[in-house]
Amino acid sequence: MMAIKYWLLMASMVISMPTAFAQEPVKGSGSETPSDDNWGDDNWSDDSWTEEQSGSSWHGFIEAGLGGRLQEDTAVNEKFSGLDDTTLADLRLRLETTGFIGDNRYALKADLYADGVEQGVRVDLREASYTFSASESTDVKLGQQILTWGTGDLLFLNDLFAKDWQSFFAGRDTEYLKAPVAAAKASYYGESASLELVWIPVFTSDRYINGERFSWFSPQAGENVAAPSGRVDAKDPANSFANGEFAARIAGSVDSTEWALYGYRGFQKQPNALNEKGQPVFTRLDVLGASVRGNLGTGLANAELALHMAEDGAGNDPVMPNDQFRFLLGYEREILPKLTLGLQYYLEQTLDYSALRAASASPYNPAQYRYLYTTRLNYRMWQDNLTWSLFAFYSPSDDDHFIRPSVTYRYSDNLNMVVGANLFGGEKAHTFFGQFEDASNVYGRIRYAF
Amino acid sequence: MIKQLISLLSITLTMVFTTPVWAEDLTDVETIINQATLAAYYRGEDGRSEARMLIEDAQGRKQQRQFTILRRDHEDGGDQQFLVAFSRPADVRDTVFLVEKHAKTDDDRWLYLPGLDLVKRISAGDKRTSFVGSNYFYEDVSGRNPDEDNHQLIETTEEHYLVENTPKDANSVEFGRYQVWIEKISMLPVKIEYYDSSDKLYRRVEVLATEDVQGIPTVTKSRVSDLISGASTTMEFRFIRYDLGMESSVFTERSLRNPPRQWLKRPQPL
Repeated sequence: MMAIKYWLLMASMVISMPTAFAQEPVKGSGSETPSDDNWGDDNWSDDSWTEEQSGSSWHGFIEAGLGGRLQEDTAVNEKFSGLDDTTLADLRLRLETTGFIGDNRYALKADLYADGVEQGVRVDLREASYTFSASESTDVKLGQQILTWGTGDLLFLNDLFAKDWQSFFAGRDTEYLKAPVAAAKASYYGESASLELVWIPVFTSDRYINGERFSWFSPQAGENVAAPSGRVDAKDPANSFANGEFAARIAGSVDSTEWALYGYRGFQKQPNALNEKGQPVFTRLDVLGASVRGNLGTGLANAELALHMAEDGAGNDPVMPNDQFRFLLGYEREILPKLTLGLQYYLEQTLDYSALRAASASPYNPAQYRYLYTTRLNYRMWQDNLTWSLFAFYSPSDDDHFIRPSVTYRYSDNLNMVVGANLFGGEKAHTFFGQFEDASNVYGRIRYAF
Repeated sequence: MIKQLISLLSITLTMVFTTPVWAEDLTDVETIINQATLAAYYRGEDGRSEARMLIEDAQGRKQQRQFTILRRDHEDGGDQQFLVAFSRPADVRDTVFLVEKHAKTDDDRWLYLPGLDLVKRISAGDKRTSFVGSNYFYEDVSGRNPDEDNHQLIETTEEHYLVENTPKDANSVEFGRYQVWIEKISMLPVKIEYYDSSDKLYRRVEVLATEDVQGIPTVTKSRVSDLISGASTTMEFRFIRYDLGMESSVFTERSLRNPPRQWLKRPQPL
């Protein structure tokens, strides 16, 4: 009897073992084929794993954006057009693709958009670049590209790459604050530091406020002017090797703190000088600067400075910008879960100020110490699908401000919408933000990405 | 006599070699937790994997995330480096996330936004908030420092160790306590249940599938469920490879601006 019981026990063990082993493959998905995935009826069952391998494919988005002034701008209204109060009327198609030739990467990104404000259909080639490694530690990126460096949040001291202020003020996506440039960039990555050299053969200015979409304060007229009479149409410097733009950065880090040194040779990015004929021109600009960024307490601190050496080095030409010393201090931390606070102090000191004052008694001279504070508040809710954002510039020296509230709702992976505002104000008509008081606008955008 | 000795020796050897199979249960909870941390987050010197997430909210709406993740350990149980390159959805495509994970201090994190060519450094944030909009927390993905909790071994079953964990700093986390089931054979945490301050079960992380990759038991499918709202996220890993020989320099700004194709591209089958 004992023996029988023993064998029964053994048999039951043997029988139960295959069951135990049989569970393994179920538990371990080693034998699981993609079609076994129980992802429900979503469109992922086509198996996205395979797509990643297939290389280049086209993506992009379609976006509609509409924005309008909160008040009339009499300077713009002289045009007497029904669209005067519209600041954004875009219907935009983005197409982009990236891929590899060997291990070299190419990227193509282009926008086709109908602009209801400036009335036309335009193409904006955002990127057409080719990146390859010239040596084990050197990357070269050639072609149309976006370039950014520096530590400021919407403040730029050493980043002299082209910006698009029209898009920024009109409420287009933040991505459009950066204008693309045709450039060659070489990056060398060493043991303790990296070196980046950028050459922009043809000077590329900012897409500055030129009186088309928004009016600007003209010191000559003593008031805001706009197109057609007040259109700024500055001629770029003549094409030559010497008139190209050259930018360099050396960067490294010590423990968790990043440092960088910057250099730039080119021109003022906006035509903020006048030639003998009184026409707006871009004058020479050389910049040297440095930055650090690292942890401070539970947040992130950064400091950056830059010396802008202008063509009017002595400072006694009233229609040319003087040298400037720029300084930035910033701090950012998450003050509550999902709520981020960023604070910045920014100083723009006009050098040789007494020379400027001696040469010009204009009431529109820049302040010797123009300084401002910025605040960024970001709050994410609904699983990051709803983002509240408030960015404010406030300058006590200019007594003006620029407030940018926005709410972004991500309805799905494909569909998102944003409403926001650009609110300018100031005590004086000529200050940096004050001049755009009548440009204050609200906007909305809806985007379908594919 | 010699024959007896040999037979004794062979018995002894048999016992020595078979002992691991019948390994004695671990009783020191710190050892268990440390082994589980190593098993879950530190296998191999480095590793790569492709991952995708299916996020389902309480209303049944679905979102997806897809990314490739590279990892390199400075030392087991210590500092690590991560590079996460997103390929889906459209609004985060080509976004790259770089993390220097520090065991003792806050992590250093950077995000590369290709539209702006911006390397944005991110301040140390609450690690128990959503990872890329999913129900996973940043800490679920990168690992919670074991030193932040007190551990107590409350049960040892045939297959699992059940460990109770209470936070040393209750104000720093949203949970009151959590229980972890650690699979004895792999030492992988296979189920975690979180209780709130009123001791109500509200969150569960569970392993749905594991696979042997280069001899290493590896989680290939897991799910986190928000038991209050009904939302959940399922995560799958594929094309996993350990010990590729990645160097520390792979995890630098260079890789943010120019993602390292050599390591991101899918490896040839072994």
